[in-house]
Amino acid sequence: MDTLPSEEEQMIKNVARELLEAEVTTAMVREMELDDLGYPPALWKQMADQGWLGMAIPEQYGGQGLPITYLGLILEEAGRVLAPVPLHSTMSAALTIVSDGNDQQKQDILPAVSDGGMVLTYAVHERDARLIPEAMQLQATKDGDGWVLNGTKMFVDNFIVAQRCLVAARTSPASDANQGISLFLVDPNGTGVIQTALTTLAKDKQSRVDFKDHRIDGAALVGEVDQGWPIVEAMLDRATALLCCQMVGAARKDAEMAIEYAKNRVAFGRPIGSFQSVQHMLADMILHVDGGGMLTFEALWKMDNDLPYSVEVSQAKAFCNEKCESVVRTSQVIHGGIGFMMEFDLHLWFRRVTSWTMRLGTTYDHRSRIAAALLDVPGKVRLGMPLPTAV
Amino acid sequence: MDFGYTTEQEDLRQQVRDFIDGNVSQGLLDEMEGGEEGGRGPEYRELVGKVADMGWIGISWPKEYGGQSGSRIDQYIVEEEFMRRGINVGGAGSGAPAILAAGTEEQKEYFIPGMIRGEIIFALGFTEPQAGADLAGLQCRAVRDGDDFVINGQKMYTSAAHYASHIYMMCRTDPDAPRHRGISIFLVPMDTPGITVRPLWTIQSDPPAPLGTTYGMVRTNETFFENVRIPASCMLGEENGGWYVGAMGLNLDRVGASRYLISVRRDEDIVNWVKENDFGGHSPAEDPAVRDKLAELWTEAQVCRLMTMRSMSLVNRGGTFTYEGSAEKVWAPEHGVKTTEAISQILGPYAQLLNGSPEAIEDGLYAHNLMGSFQSGINHGSVQIMRDQMARRGLGLPRG
Repeated sequence: MDTLPSEEEQMIKNVARELLEAEVTTAMVREMELDDLGYPPALWKQMADQGWLGMAIPEQYGGQGLPITYLGLILEEAGRVLAPVPLHSTMSAALTIVSDGNDQQKQDILPAVSDGGMVLTYAVHERDARLIPEAMQLQATKDGDGWVLNGTKMFVDNFIVAQRCLVAARTSPASDANQGISLFLVDPNGTGVIQTALTTLAKDKQSRVDFKDHRIDGAALVGEVDQGWPIVEAMLDRATALLCCQMVGAARKDAEMAIEYAKNRVAFGRPIGSFQSVQHMLADMILHVDGGGMLTFEALWKMDNDLPYSVEVSQAKAFCNEKCESVVRTSQVIHGGIGFMMEFDLHLWFRRVTSWTMRLGTTYDHRSRIAAALLDVPGKVRLGMPLPTAV
Repeated sequence: MDFGYTTEQEDLRQQVRDFIDGNVSQGLLDEMEGGEEGGRGPEYRELVGKVADMGWIGISWPKEYGGQSGSRIDQYIVEEEFMRRGINVGGAGSGAPAILAAGTEEQKEYFIPGMIRGEIIFALGFTEPQAGADLAGLQCRAVRDGDDFVINGQKMYTSAAHYASHIYMMCRTDPDAPRHRGISIFLVPMDTPGITVRPLWTIQSDPPAPLGTTYGMVRTNETFFENVRIPASCMLGEENGGWYVGAMGLNLDRVGASRYLISVRRDEDIVNWVKENDFGGHSPAEDPAVRDKLAELWTEAQVCRLMTMRSMSLVNRGGTFTYEGSAEKVWAPEHGVKTTEAISQILGPYAQLLNGSPEAIEDGLYAHNLMGSFQSGINHGSVQIMRDQMARRGLGLPRG
C-alpha cells in the first residue's frame, strides 16, 4: 500500500509534463479548434517517438508492454495542457485490440498505432445515449461471410481522422445466452459511412455517423459473434478511467491557475487569496482534484493487477463528473469577469472538463452501476474489501 | 502507486481478526457499554497487555522503546481491525508521536513502553475556556520555581482525565514573549496534588449512547490546576518551544484508522442494514433516490479511505505533511456528517428513536450518531481551521 507515485512513475510524469508544457501552448489549442484535422501531426509523431503511444501495447507488437497506470499518467499530463491530439480515442480502441483482437488484427493495427501511423476511435453511443446493451440498435445483418451495417452512432471522437473505428452493433436480439452485440473494426472512409460534424462545448471533433448498407467482411469481427458486449464494457471501462485521468490533469491545472490568480489579484487593498472565503474555495478544489485522482489511479491499478475494476471506474467517473466540474466552475468564479472573456484562456479548460463530465457515462449512470453492485448482490459490504460477487 | 496489501499484511489482518474473536470478552463489552470509563477499565488494560505481547501496538515505533520499528501500514491494519470493534489500541490522539520526536531519552524510555501496554494513558490538555480554535491564546500558567514548575489554570474537554494516568498539556511559560513562543508542553501525572477533575456530561448522556456511536462518549471533563508542582523533567521539548512540538504531534495524531472509521462506519452500516431489512415489506434499497445517494456516499467514503492511505503512505515513507493531514481532516468529518444526515432521511421517523425506545433501530444508533457525527469536524482542529492550514501551508496563500 503506497498511494504516492513510485520513482519510475514520477519520472514518467515529469518527462511528459516537461515535453507537453513546452510543445502545447494555448495558441495551439485554439488553432486546433479551427483545424480540419484537429491535431498537429508533428506533435502526434513526437508522442510516438517518446514511446507514449505504444506504452501499454505489448512489446511483440511494437510497444513497451508497460502498465496502463503509466499510460494514465501520460493522459493526466495531456489533460493538463489540453493537448489537442486523438490520444484518448486511439488508446481506448487500441487496448481493446490488445485484449480481444485476433493475431492478424493485432499485427495490422498495434505496430502502426505505436509508431504514430494510425489513429483509432470507437463508436458505442446511439440516440438513446446510455451505454447499455438495450441501447445498441445499429444493425449488422449477415451477408455471405461478412455483414451489412445500418443505423446511427453518436458522439464519435476523431472519426474524421481515424483509420479504424471499433463499432458495437446488434447481430441478434438479446437472449439468455448473450446480449446479441458484436464488435467490428470499420473503415471510416468506407462506402455508406456518412459523417456529420457536431459543434461541441469543447470544440473538439465529434461526429454523428450514419451507416447505410455499409458492408464489412468477416475479418472485421473482433471477438465472437453476439459475444461482443463484455468486450465493449471492458473497452468503456478503460476509456472511462483514461478520461478521468484527463479530467484530473485538466482540473488540477485549472485549480493552480486559480491559486496563482488569487495570489496576485488585489482587491480591497490585498490579494484576494488572503480572504478566508477564497482560501476555503481553493482548499476544496484541491480536495476534489486529489480525491478524483486517487479514485482514478486505484481503478487503473486494479486493471493492471487483474482485479475487478468496474465499480472503481464508476466511482472515479461519478466523482470526477461532479467534483472536477465544481473545480473548473469555482476557478471561473475566482477569476471573476475576466474568466468570461473569449480572449482569456481559462475557458479552454472549463469547456473541456465540462464536456468530459457528460462523456462515457453521466453521474447518474455510474452511480446506478455502483448501487447495483452495493445493493443487489447478497452479502455484507466493507470499505477497502472486495464487494460480494453474485454466485 | 500500490493500492494493495502484501500477503504478509493480509495474513496479519487475519491473525488480528482471529485474536479479537478469541479475546474480546463479554466483560470488556460490558465495560465499554458502561461508557464513563471511555472503555479503558481493567478489562481493557488486560486486553491491551495481550495485544502488546503479540507485538501489535506501536508497530512503527522504534524497537528500543518497545515498538517493532516496522511499517506504518502494518500498524494501521491492526488499528483498523480493533477500531472496527470499537477498541482503540493504536494510541491515536495519544501524544506518542510528539514524545518520540521531541522527548528526552528518559521520557521515551518511560512513556512509550507504558503507553504500549496501556498502563500509561494521556488525557489531552489543550483547550481552555478562552482558547479553542485559537489555541495560542491559552492562559494556563506554568511558573518556574527552582527545579520545579508550578501550574495554575483550567483545561476544558479533557475527556480521559478521570481515568488517565497523565495529562499531556500546553501551558504558558513566558507571558511576555509573542504568544506562540511562550508555550511549553508538560507531561503531568494525574495524581499530582492540586489537580481536580469535574465531569461535563455530553448530549449523548441521556439516554446513554449505544456502543459504536460516533462520538458516543457520555462524559468529558474540565480539569483545574491549583498550585500543581511538578519537576522540570516533566517538560516535553524545549522551554517555550511547545507550540511547534504540539502542532507536529497534532498533525500526526489526527490521521489514521480512528479518524477514518469514525467517518465511514455509517456508510457500511446503512448499506448492510437496507440490504437485510425493510419497513413493512418495503426496503429503502428499492427507492431510486436512495440508491443514487448511497452510491454517492459510498464513493465519497472511498475518498476518505484513500486520503487516510495517502497519509499513512507519507508517514511510512518518512515524509512530512504539507496539507495532506489537514485534507483528510476536512474530508472525513464532513463526509461522516453527510452520511449521518442522509441516513436520517433514508430511515425517516425511525432515525429519531433513541437508545432504549421501543421500535428503535440498532439501539438508536442512528439517532445518537446525529448528535455526535459533527464532533469529528470540531475536535483536533475544526474543518475551518484545517482549510486555513491547507490554504496557507499547502497552497502558499497569504495570511489575511
